[in-house]
Amino acid sequence: MGINIVQAVLLGLFACLASLPGMGGTTIGNYTLGRPLVGGLVVGLIMGDIQTGIIVGASIQLVYIALVTPGGTVSADVRAVTYIGIPLAILAIRAQGLDPSSEAASGLAASLGAAVGTLGTVLFYGTATMNLVWQGIGWKAMDGGNWKTIKKTIPLVDFVLPWISHIAFSFIPTVVICLAGESMVGLMKDYLPMDGVAMKTLFTVGSLLPAVGVAILCKQVIQKPLDWVTFGLGFTLAAVMGCNLIASALIAVFFALINYKVEQLKTARPALAADAAATLDDEEEEDI
Amino acid sequence: MADLKKVSAKARKSAFRNWIYGNLTCFSQEHMQTFGYLAAMLPVVDELYDNDEDKVKSISTYRTFFNTEPQIGTMVVGLTVGLEEARANGEPLDDDTINGIRAGLMGPLAGLGDSIIVGTFIPILLGIALGLSTGGSVLGPLFYVLVWNLAMYFGMKFAFNQGYELGGSAVEALVGPQSAALRSSIVMVGTMVIGSVAATWINITTALEVPFSADSSLVLQDTLDSIFPKLLNFFFVWLCWWLMTKRKMSPTLVMGLLVVVALVGVLVGFFNPGLSY
Repeated sequence: MGINIVQAVLLGLFACLASLPGMGGTTIGNYTLGRPLVGGLVVGLIMGDIQTGIIVGASIQLVYIALVTPGGTVSADVRAVTYIGIPLAILAIRAQGLDPSSEAASGLAASLGAAVGTLGTVLFYGTATMNLVWQGIGWKAMDGGNWKTIKKTIPLVDFVLPWISHIAFSFIPTVVICLAGESMVGLMKDYLPMDGVAMKTLFTVGSLLPAVGVAILCKQVIQKPLDWVTFGLGFTLAAVMGCNLIASALIAVFFALINYKVEQLKTARPALAADAAATLDDEEEEDI
Repeated sequence: MADLKKVSAKARKSAFRNWIYGNLTCFSQEHMQTFGYLAAMLPVVDELYDNDEDKVKSISTYRTFFNTEPQIGTMVVGLTVGLEEARANGEPLDDDTINGIRAGLMGPLAGLGDSIIVGTFIPILLGIALGLSTGGSVLGPLFYVLVWNLAMYFGMKFAFNQGYELGGSAVEALVGPQSAALRSSIVMVGTMVIGSVAATWINITTALEVPFSADSSLVLQDTLDSIFPKLLNFFFVWLCWWLMTKRKMSPTLVMGLLVVVALVGVLVGFFNPGLSY
């Protein structure tokens, strides 16, 4: 069972909404519809298999648990990961007769999603570059100095014209790739046996990739070597003591409360803290 | 001084809506959120000034580059609405002052938003949602959609109003020295939860066995487990972090490197997923 034209068009439409920068906006578009877990539900609805959609979406979500895009540097494109990667992964899992909730299926989904996502960065740069044209129209209106023109042009530039970029770089690629998907997946099965090096590597990559996602998170929060101890405590809670994430979060909040009180005391007693702060500042500067 | 100009609730609402929807819709690498900002200020400027010349002059202030974490950045938009109102009432605020405040806030707020909203809040929500979606249950995605959007809508509304009403002091409270204790505590929760995430959701194992004699061999995974459970998870996270921060590699490059590591690992027998059709 492949993807028909109506399904492909719907997927293409959601790709336009969910991109970064997407027509659904940041909160609803990128951070809701663009998350693979939510996308899994949407794709599942479109393809008529909600359960598989969500399972596949969840596996891909793990890789992109924290897709932070500081200063607009994009390592993976959400529209491609979610609205090309998930449909292709569902087709591949069906074609190979895997149980969707098996580890094999989730490994396949993760590496397929990541491959598509990395290739998809082309779409991100395409959209952003084409938007330069619309912004040019905006600057021209502002240079003209006519308020009525400006008042009409700015909303046009910000809300309407970028749709053209998305038809070119979100809609068309998604529709074309999803329609071709079935035959691509079929070819893959014939030419890439599961015990060959290629497939073994693909699945291994799938198991390694979540480490990149977590490492991006670490980059955000780990500023000095001692922060690894905090990280290590959380790791130990889950790995050794079997805490689930909610339990870990509760213990973390407890330690954070203690930390908050200590930090507050430091500011309340500047004389005492002065010495400690001086040495602390030195350390922090070096690391940053 | 009897009739001070005030931005109407309607104009503030449409500024808020324009920003939360349009902050990134016309993104380019050159002017990231600038047009979103212009679209947000448009209704405010239109209402505050009477003649077209002043309107054009005022909106031109916001031509400068703007980029931050757009959700927490709602506060900056609210703040400039307040500043613009003060300017329309004759306060001596020049373009440089307004843009100085904008530029001074967008960096710290981007750091704050990326680490707290995108780096901590979203992963925790997704973590709970992933737990709820075991076996393909719709509960997980629905939970995320609801909680995330409600939290963001009310959070952004709050940020916008705070920015508008309290002016500069509100935002400084969030990025100033007094906030250090709160910020470090929030980041601490994030760090620990991320540690648990690394142990829960990553599953890296080795298939390597070193034969000693005909009937005994060293199973590397068992040895590693006896040192510390899930040690390979920790190692690979640390490795990726090290490559990205100390070696300044991009995430894409690190992913590429992992493909090479996987290939070599498979060839020497370190990795073997052991699957078949």
